[in-house]
Amino acid sequence: MQHTLDKNNKINWLVNLACVTLLSLSGCATTSSTLKTSAIDPYEEVNRSIYDFNNSVDEYVAAPVADAYLWATPVVVQQGIGNFFNNLKDINVFFNDFLQAKFDQGLEDTGRFLVNTTVGLGGLFDIATDIGLVKHDEDFDQTMAIWGVPQGPYLVIPLLGPSTGRGVPGTVLDTALNPSSYVGVPVRALELVHLRANAKASLNTIKESALDPYVFTRDAFLQRRNYLINDGKQTAEENWEEDSDTHHPTNSATSSPDKPIKNK
Amino acid sequence: MLLLLRTKMILIWILYWLSFTPLAFAQEETAKQVVENFQNELIAVMKQGKELGFKGRYEKLNPVISKSHDLIKIARVVVGKESVKLSEEQQQKLVDTFSHLSIAAYAYNFKEYAGESFKFDSEKETKQGGTVIYTSLLVPNDKEVKFEYMLKKKGDNWKIINIIANGVSDLALKRSEYTSILERDGFEALIAKMNEKIDNYSKQ
Repeated sequence: MQHTLDKNNKINWLVNLACVTLLSLSGCATTSSTLKTSAIDPYEEVNRSIYDFNNSVDEYVAAPVADAYLWATPVVVQQGIGNFFNNLKDINVFFNDFLQAKFDQGLEDTGRFLVNTTVGLGGLFDIATDIGLVKHDEDFDQTMAIWGVPQGPYLVIPLLGPSTGRGVPGTVLDTALNPSSYVGVPVRALELVHLRANAKASLNTIKESALDPYVFTRDAFLQRRNYLINDGKQTAEENWEEDSDTHHPTNSATSSPDKPIKNK
Repeated sequence: MLLLLRTKMILIWILYWLSFTPLAFAQEETAKQVVENFQNELIAVMKQGKELGFKGRYEKLNPVISKSHDLIKIARVVVGKESVKLSEEQQQKLVDTFSHLSIAAYAYNFKEYAGESFKFDSEKETKQGGTVIYTSLLVPNDKEVKFEYMLKKKGDNWKIINIIANGVSDLALKRSEYTSILERDGFEALIAKMNEKIDNYSKQ
């Protein structure tokens, strides 16, 4: 039911692992050029190859580690770990609030960080949410979008997952501003494992529901990013009627619309 | 004069009796009611989810979804321009399989209840005569999920055409998937994939 993909879950879960270059993988891509390329995803064939590679890594490495983490770690500890890393990300959030001229929200998010860092014992407890300071979701990709930087092509980055031409530098800046990037490999590894474990439900939904998991992931990711950039104010509603009216009327498909369909 | 009075009396009598007939109460559901009735039924099925099992949930949801959603229109929209390439028989097959898959997906995903509830937020009329119903799914100890229902009138009845969950449009997602598979692998492959999903759902 929930077809949302959290960018943090999907993009960041293997940020600091060994680097495999896009070029080295593009060699594995199918050279079939009979398929149409779309404006949004001009490198679809290469992207699909990297997507398959990432899935294999996920299946054989990340998923088992995340499952072991879920099995071995009490829920309270998992919540504490999640709160801790989320609190560090709030630095990035309020920084980008101000860059987007959202000053009230910036003050609120700065307050969140200060409350959780002090009263919340270094971020282990999310006291700020309990006292009504709502968590927001901002990052450099969103800031660049607000500044008018175009999205660029959809890209699947080896080990990192979905991104865009604008999202790649955005993620580099997000990572640079996150203190957990500098404290050492074990802490960063823990964050990545936690992110993957958190994304389990979303990834299972894709596996279970998607007819074409690559397209599903791409579209859910891009729609979700646009939703975050617009802060949920502008949705697909603007186009939906046009979309729903563009079908070609046919004289077939005569099933009665109001009657239950026969069970298989 | 007497004739006029008698005609008047007869008219009043007819109107009086008509007021007791079901016709007087047969008001069409508003778009909001369509969504709320659908959500109520969904929650009711979730509450009985375990006892009903997949088959029971499917049977309960089948009439509910068929009534509240315009599955024929949705099925045509998701194949987009590719629909002109399909024969009449293929289009019928697509609508049937799509309807089975949609109901099976609901029956699979809404299998248990953990205190969830829907809350109506607002509604809005669109420029082209549609209605958007904004709701939130409240999940205990978790973030709420925004659900926007897009409805259009089919005859006298409002029908759900699309659902947007936290900014992700189900219709747009499906259209990308379906058109991509049709372009890459063809119609039979699409139907095979849809049937595979239905089978997987029903085995759970």
